[in-house]
Order: sequence, then C-alpha cells, then structure tokens
Amino acid sequence: MSTFQCILRTVVLISTAWLATSVYAQQQPPQLFSGMEGYTFLPDGTPVPIWGYGWIADGFITLPAPLLTYTEGESVQLNFTNPSPESHTIHLHGLDVDQANDGVPGTSFLVTTGGEATYSFEADYPGTFLYHCHVTTTLHLTMGMYGMVLVTRPDFTLYEGGPAYAEDVPLLFSDLEIATNMDPVGSYPFHDIRPDVFMVNGQSGSQLEAPERIVHFEPGQPLALRLGSMAYSRVVCQFPAELNATCYMSDGRPLPTPFDPDALEIFPGERFTVLIDPEPGWDGSLPCEFWSMVDETLESVENIKIRDAALGVTQLEFTGAKGYPNPAREHITWDEARQIQVWNAYGVPVADIRFEQGVLDVAGWPVGTYVARIDGGRSVRFVVTE
Amino acid sequence: MEKRLSHLVKCIGTTGFVLATVLAFGQDSLFIMRGTWDQLPEAPQVLRLNTSANWSEQNAILEREADLASTLVIVNADSTSHQWALLMGDTEGITIESGDTTVVNLPALPMGTYRLGLIDGEGSGLGAQSMLQVGLQSDANLALFHWNLCDWETDQMATWSSGTEPDPTATYVPNYFSINEQTYPTTLEDPNALVSVALGDTCWIAVANHGQMDHVLHFHGFHVEVLTSNLQPARIGWSKDTVPVKKGEGLTVQLVANQAGIYPVHDHNLIAVTNAGFYPGGMLTQIIVDP
Repeated sequence: MSTFQCILRTVVLISTAWLATSVYAQQQPPQLFSGMEGYTFLPDGTPVPIWGYGWIADGFITLPAPLLTYTEGESVQLNFTNPSPESHTIHLHGLDVDQANDGVPGTSFLVTTGGEATYSFEADYPGTFLYHCHVTTTLHLTMGMYGMVLVTRPDFTLYEGGPAYAEDVPLLFSDLEIATNMDPVGSYPFHDIRPDVFMVNGQSGSQLEAPERIVHFEPGQPLALRLGSMAYSRVVCQFPAELNATCYMSDGRPLPTPFDPDALEIFPGERFTVLIDPEPGWDGSLPCEFWSMVDETLESVENIKIRDAALGVTQLEFTGAKGYPNPAREHITWDEARQIQVWNAYGVPVADIRFEQGVLDVAGWPVGTYVARIDGGRSVRFVVTE
Repeated sequence: MEKRLSHLVKCIGTTGFVLATVLAFGQDSLFIMRGTWDQLPEAPQVLRLNTSANWSEQNAILEREADLASTLVIVNADSTSHQWALLMGDTEGITIESGDTTVVNLPALPMGTYRLGLIDGEGSGLGAQSMLQVGLQSDANLALFHWNLCDWETDQMATWSSGTEPDPTATYVPNYFSINEQTYPTTLEDPNALVSVALGDTCWIAVANHGQMDHVLHFHGFHVEVLTSNLQPARIGWSKDTVPVKKGEGLTVQLVANQAGIYPVHDHNLIAVTNAGFYPGGMLTQIIVDP
C-alpha cells in the first residue's frame, strides 16, 4: 500500500466515522429537559418566574413548553432529563398511555433531580393532546409545566376519511396567578388559586397583536385550529360567522357529527380541532373568553388575530433585538438599543442599563445563558462564553 | 313538653306509615337526616338523604326502571322544614315539615342519571342531594359505579348550620371537593368511587354534579363514551378523556377497560384535587384494571 493510499484510507475512515457520528446525532430523538428558573413577560414588561420544559439543544425553557409533533402510528420514545432541584414527570394527557408511562407519581415513576427517563407510547390516534408535569400538579402546572402534542397524518387529513386541511395552528389556552408564580413556596393553600393572567400560547393582551402572533390564511386553504386548554378557567371561543368554522374532533377522536360552533366551550384539559376557511379578505379576531370556574365571572377576553395573507404578511421587526456577536466573550451590541435589562439563568437581575451605543460589556460575566429585554420590548437570549 | 310529645307522635306515625307503605307497595324511602361529617377535620354539621333513620355520611342512591312512573316516600327527620324536588331544572319544590312524611311522584324517565334532593338553601348548602339512576341496572353483566360530585366551603356550611343565611354577595371559595361525600384518599375506600374491573370489562359510571360550580373529569389511560346527559345532550356519543360535568348535570359514561393497570381520574380544575388547599386530595379517584 502506497503512502498516498494509506493517507487516503485514513481520511476516508475518519470521514466515515465523522459522518456516522453526525448522522447518528441527527437520528437521536430530541430531548426535553425541565427547568425552574425561567421567565415570561407580561404585556407591560413585568417578568414573571416560570417553571417549564425546553429542548436540551436550546438550553432554555418556554411558556408553553415546546410543541411535540408525531405521525399517526409512530412508536414514540420521548427522552427527558431533569436537572432542576425538584422531581418532575411528563403526563401525556389524552394519549391513553400505559400505567408505566403515565407520568403520575405513585402509580408511574418520578424523575428526580439529575435523573433521566424515556417515555414510550404508540401514537395510535391522530389529534390534539397535551402534556404536563403531574408532580404536585396544582402548583407545577400553574407554574408553567405544560405543552401541546399533535399527532398528524402525512396526507393532511384530520383522520382517516376526515377532511383535508392546509396547515396546523396550535392554540394553547392557559392562565396563571402572578402571586403564586412570584412565591411558589408560599403559595399554599392551593384551593384559592385565582388566575389573573390569561394567555394564548403564553401571550396575552397586546402581545397577541405582535406580527408573529397573527394567523394568516389563504382562501380555500382550511386551517386546522388545534385548541387545547391547560387553564384553570373555562374558555369560550366566540367564532365569527366569517371564519366558516366547523368542529370535527375533540380529545383526539372524531365527533359523531361535526358541528359549526358559535360559542365553543373548552374546559380545563379539553381539546378541540376546528377547521376554518375564512371569507376572502377577512381581517379580524377570534375572541376567547376566560370565565372563572368558581363563580362564573368573565375574567378576560383574549383576541387571536386572523388575517387574509393577501392583505400582506407583516415583516417581523427585529430592530434592536438581534444582538451580536452571540455567543459573546467581551461585549454584545444591539444597534439602536437604548435600554437593556438582563437576568441570569437563575432569574436574578444582573443589569439594567441605559446607554448610547447599545454595547453591553460582558467581560468577566459568568459563562451561561442570559435573558435580555431590549427597550422594554422583546425578550431575547444570549450566551456568554469563555 | 307538648311539642316533644307532638314530635314523638309524628315519628311513631311516620315509622308506621313507612313500614305500611313498604310492605304494601315495596317502595323505598329517603330520610332527611342531620349529622356530623367526620370525613372533614372541621366535622361540620350536614344534611344527608339516607335510606333509614340510621345516620350515614353518604347520600343514598335511588334506582328506577326506565319509562316507568313511580313514587317515593320521604321522611323529614330533621328539625326544620325543607323543600324537596326532583332536580331537573325544577325551581318549585314540595315543602316537607319537620317530622312529616310525604309520598312524591317520580315521572317516567328515559334511561339516564338524574339529580334529586333538597332545593332550599340550607338543604342544598349542607348537601342533601343525590342521584337517581334510571334504567342503568338493566344489564346484570355490566358493572355500574356512581360518582356524586360536590364542592364545599366550610365557612358557608358553618353559617347554614348556625341557622343563618350566608352573605349572597360573599366570594365563594370552596375548600373541599368530594366524590360520594368522600375526599381523596378516602375515595379509594368507597367501592362506588373506586372503579375496580377486570381487563376487557365494560362498565358504566353514573355522574351527578351537586356543587355550586362546574367540574371536569379527566380519565388517565382511557377514553369514555358519553351515554346520557341532561344538560349537554349534544355531547352524547362523544368519546372523551376529559368530561365536563356542569353544575346540576347528570350524565352517564361507558368505559371499556382495554388495558390493565392503575389509572387516576380527577377533576382537571386543579384547585379541586386538594383538601383544605393541600395536594393531593379532593375529587380524585382511580380505575384499577386487573389483568
């Protein structure tokens, strides 16, 4: 064997090993982790602590937790790791998994601090489902440990023999009580939890008017609204006639008789799949009422904006929100920014600065992920490296 | 003295009447009883519908055949008068004085789960409401369970017990939630609240909400089919894992035990899985499917 052949073989072997590793890495199912050190922001900019789930690859938790999507008939292996200071689980709400994978302490298993687990189940039924932590559920859920699961069909029909649609639109209703999230340890007793923030996909009030929150449609291309509730409230969606809405499914099963909803009630834990095919040129809102389950008080109306794409899809404004470089070692710049508030991964405020050049000096900061709020608006994450 | 004598005569007369009626017509009876609910640490005074003059913390369940009118003997063994109704949206009831006995007519009803009991403020506030199962016992091979759901505020109960009416403008903050007048974990000791079946069995569960608020039951491990509902008839035939039970509703669901194991069933309004604010508790039970 010549020296050239030897070098070539070595290169090929190393390349093969690298490719195999890369392919293997890509084939690894994504892994969820749980965290108790996140924040969500109210429309007025107030940060509210949350607990939740996130993708290991992202490194941060979100409200709601990441959307889990599977294909009908798929054998699912959902990997989960818990680096947080308390035990957690994942209950796969509505997927009728077996006892071992049910995510209930006592009858299933806990994932303790530092532990890892895999939840296994068959995605037998297409539809809209949920997942949440089932440890001290009243507290862990209101702190934000919930998300949505979609099981879909490759042919974009809702179910075998069901109607076709163009796109899924997940809409997860939830609420929280600020006092509980601010002081979860002191939140006993739990029976008097009374939410005061009402959300759609973790956003409320003016946040739902942001360009990225607007649901765009093309006439004749029905959208599948995947409606689910993790709220304490009873949610009532008031469908305008112009949406031409038809409800086909509830709780991951086809309805015996689909119906056209006017006011669709969604109780905590319920899900509905509603197809809409709005009138051409329609630009309006789907009002969603949040009613107290205890005394039937109307607590809030949150509006989901729905707009014909022909009217123009508003380009997202990222001005001032994209910092560079990111990750950063010595400084990070937000062009035209005038104020920045920063929290570390433990939710501790570390900076509240007004400046002229939009340059934040991070030299000497501990390595890690930080959350920055730019000019009281968007919240963004950045990483400080060595 | 005269009042006591009158009460004694009434009681003797009532007992005789009930015995004669049962012997003559095979009717069952409900006694309006006052007693202590020892299940709760506060041990509140409550009202119950019992099948005899012996006190029970749990309300009795009535059964009737479908589409057949019948009668029911009601004995007011409490110290005050009450208003009785078959609770299907009725707002006018029959007044039954203390110590009196009344025979009420039950109309012919289609198969389903219905509510009956006291509709006066004290009677309903202290929990004398229960379930009428119509046509659910017809299949001897089908296991039948029942869940009387209710929410309770102990301060409100104490006010009723003291003979006064709670402030109607006060905010309602329930602190106990029950199935068959049991709160978890005691629900697991009630053979009607705990659904224990064998793999492959089909069972029915009759559910009635007697509380002051809506509830919503989430079944782990299973979807159930809604068979009957008096307030949400549009949902009959739906297959659900999360079933709203509205205030005043009676519904029946069918469960097919197609996988073995132990699975919780609980209110998914999560304030209701607590006892006095502590988790877990309240409206929580289990389905146990033996392999």
